[in-house]
Amino acid sequence: MRRLLIPLLNVLFFSCQEEVDLPLATIEGEIPVIEGTWTDKDFYNEVTISLAKNYFDESTRIVISDAEVVISIPGTEVLIPFVYNSSTRSYRPKDRRKVAKVGERYNLSVKWGGNIYQASGLMLEAPKIDSLTYEFKEKRLFSDEGYYIKAYGKIPFTRDNYYRIRVIENDTLKNNREDYLLFDDTFGLSFFERGLELNYAFQPGDRVRLELFRMNRDVYNYFTQLVGLLFNDGGLFSPPPQNPETNIRVIQGEGEVLGCFLVSPLLSESIFIRE
Amino acid sequence: MNLSKVNFCLLIVLALSLFPFILSAQESTKISGQVLDVKDSSPLTGANIFWENDLKSGVVSDLDGNFEIQPTKLPARLIVSFIGYEKSIRVLTEKDLSKFQRFFLNPEELSLEEVIIQERRPDENVRNLETGKARVPIETIKNIPALFGEVDLLRSLQLLPGVQTAGEGTTGLFVRGGSADQNLVQLDGAPVYNPSHFFGFFSVFNPDALDQVELYKGNMPASYGGRLSSLIDVSLREGNYDQIHGEGGIGTISSRFTIDGPLFSEKSSFVFSARRTYADVFLKLANDPDLRDNRLNFYDLSGKLAFKISDKDKITFSTYQGRDFLGINREFGLGWSNWVSSLKWSRNISDDLFFDLDAYHSFYNYKIEINDPDNGFIWNNNLSESGIKGNWSLNNNSKTQTYWGFHSQFYNFSPINLEPLPNSNLDPINTNPKNGVLNNLFAGLSHQFSSKLSAEAGLRWGFFNQLGRGVDYRYAGGIPGPDVEVIDSVQFNSFENIKFYQGLEPRLAFRYLINEEFSLKAAYNRNFQYVQIASNSSAGLPIDRWILAGTYVPPIRSDQISIGMFKNFQNNKWEFSVESYYKDLRNIIDLRNGAQVLFTDQVETEIITGKGWAYGVEFLLRKNTGKTTGWLAYTWSRTWRLIEGISENRKYNPRFDRPHDVTLVLNHEFSPSWSAGLTFVYTTGQAVTFPIGTYPVDNQQLPLFSKFRNQDRFPDYHRMDASVTWKNPNKGRKLRGSWNFSVYNLYGRKNPFAYEFRQIYNDDFRFSAGDGPIESSRQGIVMTYLFTFLPSITYNFQF
Repeated sequence: MRRLLIPLLNVLFFSCQEEVDLPLATIEGEIPVIEGTWTDKDFYNEVTISLAKNYFDESTRIVISDAEVVISIPGTEVLIPFVYNSSTRSYRPKDRRKVAKVGERYNLSVKWGGNIYQASGLMLEAPKIDSLTYEFKEKRLFSDEGYYIKAYGKIPFTRDNYYRIRVIENDTLKNNREDYLLFDDTFGLSFFERGLELNYAFQPGDRVRLELFRMNRDVYNYFTQLVGLLFNDGGLFSPPPQNPETNIRVIQGEGEVLGCFLVSPLLSESIFIRE
Repeated sequence: MNLSKVNFCLLIVLALSLFPFILSAQESTKISGQVLDVKDSSPLTGANIFWENDLKSGVVSDLDGNFEIQPTKLPARLIVSFIGYEKSIRVLTEKDLSKFQRFFLNPEELSLEEVIIQERRPDENVRNLETGKARVPIETIKNIPALFGEVDLLRSLQLLPGVQTAGEGTTGLFVRGGSADQNLVQLDGAPVYNPSHFFGFFSVFNPDALDQVELYKGNMPASYGGRLSSLIDVSLREGNYDQIHGEGGIGTISSRFTIDGPLFSEKSSFVFSARRTYADVFLKLANDPDLRDNRLNFYDLSGKLAFKISDKDKITFSTYQGRDFLGINREFGLGWSNWVSSLKWSRNISDDLFFDLDAYHSFYNYKIEINDPDNGFIWNNNLSESGIKGNWSLNNNSKTQTYWGFHSQFYNFSPINLEPLPNSNLDPINTNPKNGVLNNLFAGLSHQFSSKLSAEAGLRWGFFNQLGRGVDYRYAGGIPGPDVEVIDSVQFNSFENIKFYQGLEPRLAFRYLINEEFSLKAAYNRNFQYVQIASNSSAGLPIDRWILAGTYVPPIRSDQISIGMFKNFQNNKWEFSVESYYKDLRNIIDLRNGAQVLFTDQVETEIITGKGWAYGVEFLLRKNTGKTTGWLAYTWSRTWRLIEGISENRKYNPRFDRPHDVTLVLNHEFSPSWSAGLTFVYTTGQAVTFPIGTYPVDNQQLPLFSKFRNQDRFPDYHRMDASVTWKNPNKGRKLRGSWNFSVYNLYGRKNPFAYEFRQIYNDDFRFSAGDGPIESSRQGIVMTYLFTFLPSITYNFQF
């Protein structure tokens, strides 16, 4: 509703826009931003650590390369150390064969600057993707003319139904704020069996890859809040802006931490669009 | 000489003295005519008719408005004047001697306003016990320059001290630190749950249909309750009992028409009023087919029937129905509507005892339809309130008045209902209904202890039951939360009690008269509120979720103390008042970060509660009579909230905390034809949260916000509006027309509506990521502003 309102108001009430400058407060101290991804596919498993910067600071992103990063399984001796990879500017498992296994809970621990940051996530069972199909469709409301992909699968779970789909078109991740496809079981899940349509108009010759994540609830909330923030225009119809609630805690030291630790199975399917 | 002889002699002298005139009259023709009210053609008795060049020649119209006057040297100007009406001047020549002259007089606009104000004593503001009460005559509201030329009741109330607005152009009211859902907006006693059109940019009230509006923001009589912050009591006017009368207007975005008159006899009347926008008509003219196929409109219909069934009994029936609709390409539709009706019986039991019985029903509905072949659905929701209120008033003696009564309210919040269209992939959603009944007893007493000291005491006692049919959830640990496990759900049958609350609401008011033009007042007021909106945005949306007090959501409570000084000057020509208040709010709610309340059956898991407080001083200088009327108001106020889980559990200002608020409203009548209005508004900018930094997450560059809410401010808001009204009093006799030219935001101030903190691509804030290759990216701030220098024109008419 709020996303619909702003363009509507623009049209109706002769609203105008211009870029302005405002005096903004600045960050006190250093705030680390930790993004951890731990899946059953080794390619995706990494932890990036950077620092937040002042709003108008145009300097390059400051990446932390001297942190100690470990993933562990609580209650066991299992430790999966991560090492910094300068080419990816992220931390990757020292042993690349180590991946997340269904049913295990994983703790991420990051030591940096005298602080210890920790997060936890449960590796859930993946749903099934049976097939991808596509068909040509005429122009519709909010949808252009083109080839639309449907994903067919099955989600047999009665709880922890929090999903995200990422779409990669010809090796380019669709990454605008409109591209977040997040869903839970509020509207049921049978639509996945009947075919979940991706709201993109593809063209013949496009190679499309779909990635499906099954997330823990706190991570799903993090992403829904992130999307809400991306659409928050600061106006009357938007809630007061807040940072997405991270699942990472400062367990030693002081200060804030930003980011998120995602533990998820990853399903990936590709399709080539032919005329 | 006896008395009869004296009388006879006088008669002879009189006859002789009049003889030349009698002869003259027989020789020349008298000019005869009639003086009538232009509105209803009723005769005006006692009007003065005289020649401009011979002031001593005047006569007075009789009971039927008829007159006869001797002609003077013609041509000459004949003047007809009557108190409260505009003077009529007509040039008569010899040819007019044989014609019957009818003069239709126009009521003076200024005197209309005066009549309304004079329903009370001119010094009533000093003498009565009321604090924090404002009354704005409808004629005054009509003279205030308006956005798009649409005269708007709620936007006019925003010009009063102590009333804040959510933002540019919107009609939401924030009264003395209360949120918008803490205002009870009622039409003839029936609550209006969504009193706005067009997402809050226009209010639902057609000004032509209204009689008066009263705003209670301080001490509220015990006969009223249910909302914490204010009562906006709007009355539809009754129709004329003698003649058919109509009025209307053709404006920039809407047209309106009202007709009223006697129904069956002079003891009953009707009024019917309608208004509709035509934005969708203009949309059809658009070149862009995407715009052309859209629909966007709202309409209002209202009516009132009044029956004087005896000298002591009167029955009125009022109804209002309004609807908004937004449709896009027949694939998306959003509509919402209010329908309120009330039936009132007023009886004068004796000269001192009066009784009013009021039954009402208020219904609100919204509906969203998506006609998508795969994911189409219809989502609708209804809520209603039905009530009955009985009120007895007794004038015990000249110094004591009492009132007492009851008020029963039944709330029915229907389940959220989302039904997929055939072949849709979605599953239906149905929540449980929420019902409640609130029974109130109230009584009040006012007494004049001395010529200087008066006091009023009232008590309202509310008994609230949340009732079945419904489901109440039980949570581990007894406290609901998004991650708290539901350990049980209890099903309740229809009208079975789920949760009970009761609350005493004392009301006290004192007035001490220093002298005839100067008084001091104090008041204390407690209110409970059992319904509220679960939302954390500042402006209301039509799909906002109303919730009832229940097991986990206690009723909200306010305690307000106010003191005031009221002083009139120059024989009550000027009013000056200073009022200060402190308001304490308990159990107010906010939503968790990222809360989803629209479809959940467990809305309590998304709610957090806390407290709030507000205080301020309001200054008002007002001129009610004369060619120039209006007011100058200044308010200094602060509003705070303290809610666990927000702003690191520290106090913060809600968005509508705007410490400084200045309002100037002026109306001036230059001549019977020309008048003008001007308003100026200045307020501190809204309390908001700006980012302090930025950081990368998930391939996005997110703004970083402080943990403390609303520590920044929009720039100060100011704006000037102006209007000019021209009417030709001699144009037509039955139909009177006027033109109103108004300009909203006269000097084109760019007041921000919103700031968006986002990435700017290719140094062009209009460029979005899908528009083409991105060559550069940086953080930026994009301001949206509305309504700079917005002229409009309206033609109004009456017959």
